[in-house]
Amino acid sequence: MTLFILKRLAQIIPVTLGVTLVVFLIMQMIPGDPAIILAGEGASQETVAELRENLGLNKPLAVQYTDYIKNLLQGDMGNSLKNNQPVFEEITARLPITIELAFYSILITIVLGLIAGIISAIRPYSFMDVGLMVVALLGISLPSFWLGILLMYVFSVQLHWLPVAGWDSAKHIILPAVTLGAGGAAIVARMTRSSMLEVVNQDYIRTAKAKGLKGYIIILKHALRNALIPVITVVGLQFGSLLGGTVLVESVFAVNGLGRMIVDAIRTRDIPVVQGGVLVASLIFVFINLFVDIMYRFFNKRMDLN
Amino acid sequence: MKQETVLEVKDLQTYFYSSEGVAKAVDGVSFTLQKGETLGIVGESGCGKSMTSLSLLRLVPSPPGKIINGEILLNNTDILKLSDEELRKIRGNKISMIFQEPMTSLNPVLSVGEQIAESIRLHQGLSRKEAWQKAVDMIRLVGIPAPEKRAKQEPYQLSGGMRQRIMIAMALACTPDVLIADEPTTALDVTIQAQIIDIIQNLQKQLGMSIIFITHDLGVVAEICDKIAVMYAGQVVEEGTTESLFEKPLHPYTNGLIQSLPKLYEDQEELSTIHGTVPSPYNYPIGCRYAERCPFATDLCREKQPELLTVEPEKKVRCWMYSNKWQGETHMKEMTV
Amino acid sequence: MTTKQQPLLEVNNLKQHFFLKKEKLFGPQQVVKAVDGVSFDILPGETLSIVGESGCGKSTTGRSILRLDEPTAGEVLLFGKNLVNMNKKELRAARKDIQIIFQDPYASLNPRRTIRKMLMEAMSIQKIVPPEQQEARMIELMSLVGLRPEYLERYPHEFSGGQRQRIGIARALAVNPKIIICDESVSALDVSIQAQILNLLKQLQKDLDLTFLFISHDLSVVRHISDRIMVMYLGKVVEIADKHSLFSQPHHPYTKALFSSIPVIDKHHRKERIILKGDLPSPLNPPTGCSFHTRCPFATDKCKAEVPALREISATHKVACHFAENLV
Repeated sequence: MTLFILKRLAQIIPVTLGVTLVVFLIMQMIPGDPAIILAGEGASQETVAELRENLGLNKPLAVQYTDYIKNLLQGDMGNSLKNNQPVFEEITARLPITIELAFYSILITIVLGLIAGIISAIRPYSFMDVGLMVVALLGISLPSFWLGILLMYVFSVQLHWLPVAGWDSAKHIILPAVTLGAGGAAIVARMTRSSMLEVVNQDYIRTAKAKGLKGYIIILKHALRNALIPVITVVGLQFGSLLGGTVLVESVFAVNGLGRMIVDAIRTRDIPVVQGGVLVASLIFVFINLFVDIMYRFFNKRMDLN
Repeated sequence: MKQETVLEVKDLQTYFYSSEGVAKAVDGVSFTLQKGETLGIVGESGCGKSMTSLSLLRLVPSPPGKIINGEILLNNTDILKLSDEELRKIRGNKISMIFQEPMTSLNPVLSVGEQIAESIRLHQGLSRKEAWQKAVDMIRLVGIPAPEKRAKQEPYQLSGGMRQRIMIAMALACTPDVLIADEPTTALDVTIQAQIIDIIQNLQKQLGMSIIFITHDLGVVAEICDKIAVMYAGQVVEEGTTESLFEKPLHPYTNGLIQSLPKLYEDQEELSTIHGTVPSPYNYPIGCRYAERCPFATDLCREKQPELLTVEPEKKVRCWMYSNKWQGETHMKEMTV
Repeated sequence: MTTKQQPLLEVNNLKQHFFLKKEKLFGPQQVVKAVDGVSFDILPGETLSIVGESGCGKSTTGRSILRLDEPTAGEVLLFGKNLVNMNKKELRAARKDIQIIFQDPYASLNPRRTIRKMLMEAMSIQKIVPPEQQEARMIELMSLVGLRPEYLERYPHEFSGGQRQRIGIARALAVNPKIIICDESVSALDVSIQAQILNLLKQLQKDLDLTFLFISHDLSVVRHISDRIMVMYLGKVVEIADKHSLFSQPHHPYTKALFSSIPVIDKHHRKERIILKGDLPSPLNPPTGCSFHTRCPFATDKCKAEVPALREISATHKVACHFAENLV
């Protein structure tokens, strides 16, 4: 196990290099000059040229990149091209918000998904089951921004139950969390359902029945514990795509998190901010995956009955 | 000395419904089980013996299976008429069951001690602590050393033989009247099988329960059963005491089966065989189901199905040869070993 | 007796060690010594059986001989040529002479191929039957194993277990092998079908002059079909003898316990049962000295310390036990 963890931690280096390189190159390929955008409309050519020199944009690409890496190794993520603030500070200010949003979204994913999945599995092919699975299909198919805007329209604009945007009170969390968590909930529901159906046909469930155990105990104590094992891995993997989803949802609901920061930075060609933001998101992704894999190995030991 | 009847099964029929039609897995099975007796149900794959045992506790997967007829009387209460609640009180308590595959019959994520203790808590109302202690005692009783340590372990940490012992401990924890053992040693090595059979027999003596032992292994039933019922194509074709069954098998199938076993202590040039195969449960023939493979079959056999006749006290057979309607030439009585 | 026959198959000190993935960073490399120094000969026309319980290495031995698992060490001489160091081309040619029939009739046939395609493929790979004669040969094979020629057009799922096993035999015979390894080939069959297949194998042996290596855990089956029997325990040979000698006088305590465990119908043949204590030791951590000493009722200190060699106690009987003579 230790060897496994060490091997995976060593992967951080190539991941970091890969991510920063890809982001850097893509940013170079997008049309648009950061100096021009910063200088604003109507700026003179000299102003733009001076700005370019100051921002170090005239240096050869390879040098710009290696400078970045050198600084990164010393813990310096550079400064925003826009406001010259350290990227690191911007990230630390906005990361907690994204994490909070992600947390509540995962909560919705797990709670809604499990309940729906268990209900479906107990009465397979019933009205309830088919209905829930259709809703789940919608949840997976609808793009999150579309769903977000739809929910906003219904609950904020029409019904005035919830605020439209921002992140100040508990009420602000609901729509973004539901939007972000819906897709995951749908996947968890389907996964739970099929896993439960498979477990319920196993020999040890027959043994539990033969002992005269009550129905709900068989479901919750004997079946669910086994059925959840593949579901846990799915939830873990969901976290990764969740991070990607924050970009869209934060933009729709004007939440000041990491995702929105990255989107804005791409728009203004603020390369250091994009690099820093994407790098942090990737590293979080790597750690979550590692955690999920460790949990999976832990559970797998018991499943290997041969 | 009149023995007490613990279990009486009458005309049990369990059918399976699917797109292929109706499979008559158990088709009119009857037998009795006395107190302290070991009844063996033998037959080859597809004869319906496993489904019979699952029907006794209403564990038949339904859909697609369904018990459509019959009576299962446990001390005069019909199990088939009980409510779900009443049925649960019997399972694991008055009638217990152990299965063939110890690998998959135990819950992989619960400790073995807990799997035994939950049964005790449920049926005997003991506290957690008391039930755990009793579970440890049961583990000791089935011959597993260091029971306190083992009780906390999970199934993957135990060998196949140990897991089967745990299953036995679990089944006997509430001292049931009847233990149904469905091929409990088939998946085990022969030396481990010997250990398990030893344990079952000792515990039977200690706890005084009756056992229904289901298997395809004639050697095993010969050693541990008092009475044997032979099944073929969903029906009982012969029933009798162990001694008389092997000394003088009546039904041609029983005889064929015994003859085709390779002998451990004798050389044989060629094994005697039963040619042909078992009929499909979706499409049983009208007459005797064994007729197409039977060397003695006559037209009567192919046209009408024989009833299970009582030929002598304790001896029943489903074969026209033993009825007064028989007109066949060869009489098996002259051909037995 | 005439001069000693040359063995058709000679296995010398065969080892099959499986190395497990390292779990702990600084822990020892864990090895499963599935087959640990097995040697035996098979003479032309005879049937040698390997018996033992799960984990003894009998199936692995069969597979290692064919290099289905690459042996870790040892020699396998087929007609004097060592299979272990042959290259791919040579091995393919050699495999014409040595075939295998597996245990699970449901898993060992490709469900997407008709029987015809399967047999044709076997014949084409070895190029022994020219295309014009393949049709006739296939019909001949089907009749050899007791199946109707129409069955050639069918798929495996249309057959019963016993019939599939016959198909497996036909496939093995398609290339005219000299020796066939039967790996638990009748274990998954019902008793009445098992008898049919055993009779068939015996008949084919007579008619086609075949040699068999028969792997099984069922001693009654082994008694019926073998000339000589080899008993394995935890990767090693504990006893090897001709059939009558082994059954009338088993020397090794494990063999004795094995025989006594078998449930016997005939009361007169029932002996005092030797019940072995405990379970099979873990193959990851086999006992020192004689690997059976942890369960042996006669174990002494010598047994704990020294590995017993497989030695002759008569011309046709070898045992690996320090006290073989005394324990009769």
